[in-house]
Formats: sequence, structure tokens, C-alpha cells
Amino acid sequence: MSNHKALEMFGRSGNPSLSAETFSSSAVDASFATSAPPATMTLQGTVNKTGILLALVVISASYTWGMFFSSGNPGTVIPWAFGGAIVGLILAVVTILKKQFSGITAPLYAIAEGLFLGAISAIFEAQYPGIVIQAVGLTLGTLASLLFLYKTGIVKPTENFRLMVASATMGIAVLYLVNILMNMFGFGDIGFIHSNGLFGIGFSLFVVGIAALNLVLDFDFIEQGSEMGAPQYMEWFGAFSLMVTLIWLYLEMLRLLAKLRSR
Amino acid sequence: MDLNTLLFGGLSILSLAIFFYLGRFRASSRQTNREDRIDWSSRSFSLWKVFLYCLIAAVGVAVLAALG
Repeated sequence: MSNHKALEMFGRSGNPSLSAETFSSSAVDASFATSAPPATMTLQGTVNKTGILLALVVISASYTWGMFFSSGNPGTVIPWAFGGAIVGLILAVVTILKKQFSGITAPLYAIAEGLFLGAISAIFEAQYPGIVIQAVGLTLGTLASLLFLYKTGIVKPTENFRLMVASATMGIAVLYLVNILMNMFGFGDIGFIHSNGLFGIGFSLFVVGIAALNLVLDFDFIEQGSEMGAPQYMEWFGAFSLMVTLIWLYLEMLRLLAKLRSR
Repeated sequence: MDLNTLLFGGLSILSLAIFFYLGRFRASSRQTNREDRIDWSSRSFSLWKVFLYCLIAAVGVAVLAALG
């Protein structure tokens, strides 16, 4: 890797841990250890790490899934679901702020989110048999299709594309947060978010679309990181970013399918 | 095993195979040799990603609230 390239790419990052000085000091260390160049981010490494995170999600999800179906009582898995979601959020924030710890925090994040997803999925499956495999299939199908469209250059993410997707994502985030606050203070729901009417389904389709477009941004981030010779821990961070988007997409698929099935 | 499981299970396996195969290769030059590529070194990336993580947490809570 060219350290100069890495500085160009990541030196202006908002993350204090990725400042130009950090790379400079590592370059000084590297000049003393002349035996091998520092390891850099690769596509193969990121794909492998995504596989590891996916496996961890499935393993931990099977724990809460099994717990639900052996007890038949949602009350047994709700604490695991809340616990997994909260611990997952904390680990996600730590991973964003300290990317160099991604090798530890990303697998822990996958385990925590797996507990949450296993519980939620089991509850949906009990209500709508067969819904989970449909949501998994559609989520992974979207992943593969968009990867193909990205790799072949059919979908080309630009700054305007990023601005559009980021704005829509923030808009959805604000809407969900307002909905949660309204619930907490007893003002009820924003109706169409959970409604199974045409508007509610249209809203879910829109959110699924935005979540899917976030995958394209993740692919571009990973591609550019490996091109520019980012540090090897960014493989974990790239895999983590992909997992976050996949988990969101899966949850939205579940909601969309549940709305369609409940009509 | 019912048709639903076969169909969507097959789609899942096929999609994973495509992901692990295609993921190893660089994107086409049509994708990489462009003037209007995103500059991922800009600061805004971290900020909007934080929003995305908040969104996922919010979706999780919303789902739990809906189920409860």
C-alpha cells in the first residue's frame, strides 16, 4: 500500500482516530520494520469477514428462535430482544467511533443483533408461518442483485446519489423517532407506519427501496477502501457496514410481508 | 419441506453464492473509471451513518412496540 494514498483517502476523515498523524506515526514504525509492508484492506478479506458476521448472526439468532419455540411464550424472548437491540446499538456506536476496534466490536455486534433478530423473527413466524424464509430470501436476493448491478457498472453511485439516499434515510429515521416519542408520551402512532392499507404498504416499499440503495453505497465504500489501500481493520468495518444495512433491510422486509399477509 | 421453503431457501443459497463469488472481484472499469465517483474521505459519511444506526435502533423499538 502507498501510505500517501491512504493519507489522501482517509486523512481528512471526521474520525479523530483516522487523522493524518495516525498514519504518519504508523509509517514511521513501518520504516523500522522493513521486513513486510503493512496489511491493507482487500475485497476478499471483506467478503470473508461478512461471511463470518452472517454466520454469527445466524448462530445467535437460532438461540432466541429455539427459546421461543420451545417455550411458546413471547415473554421469554422479549428481554433478549430488547437486550440485543440495546447492546447492538452501543456496539455500533463504539465501532463507528473507534474503527480500529472493529475486529472485536463487529463480531460482538453481530451476536447481539442475532439475539434480537432471532426473537423478532420467531414472533413473526408464529403469527405468519413461512414469513421468515421469505424475508431472508428477498433480503439476500436484493443483496446479490445489487452487487451484480454495482460490479457491472449498471448502477453508478455519485455524490448526488449519496445525497439523495442519505436525505431519505435521515427522513425515515426522523419519522421513526417521532413515532417512538409519540408512543412513549401516549399520543399514539403515526398511523401509516404500521397500517396494512395501501399507503402503509407503499411506505414500507419506499423504505425497503431506500434500505436497498444503502447497500450500493456500502459496496462503493468497500471497493474504494480496498482500491486506496485502507488499513486491514477496515475490512471488519466494511463488513460491519454491510451487516447494519442488511439487518435494516431484513427488518423492513419482515414488516412489509407482515402487512401484506395481514390484509 | 413445503414449496415456500424450497423456493425462498433456494433463492437464499443462490444469492449467497453470487455474493461470495462476485464480491471477490473488482468492479468493472465502467464503475471505477469515472470522474463523478463518491469521495468517501469526506466527513459527511460518518455523520449520516450515525443516523442510519439510530434508524435501525428505532425500527427495532418500533417493531417491538408493534408486537407488544
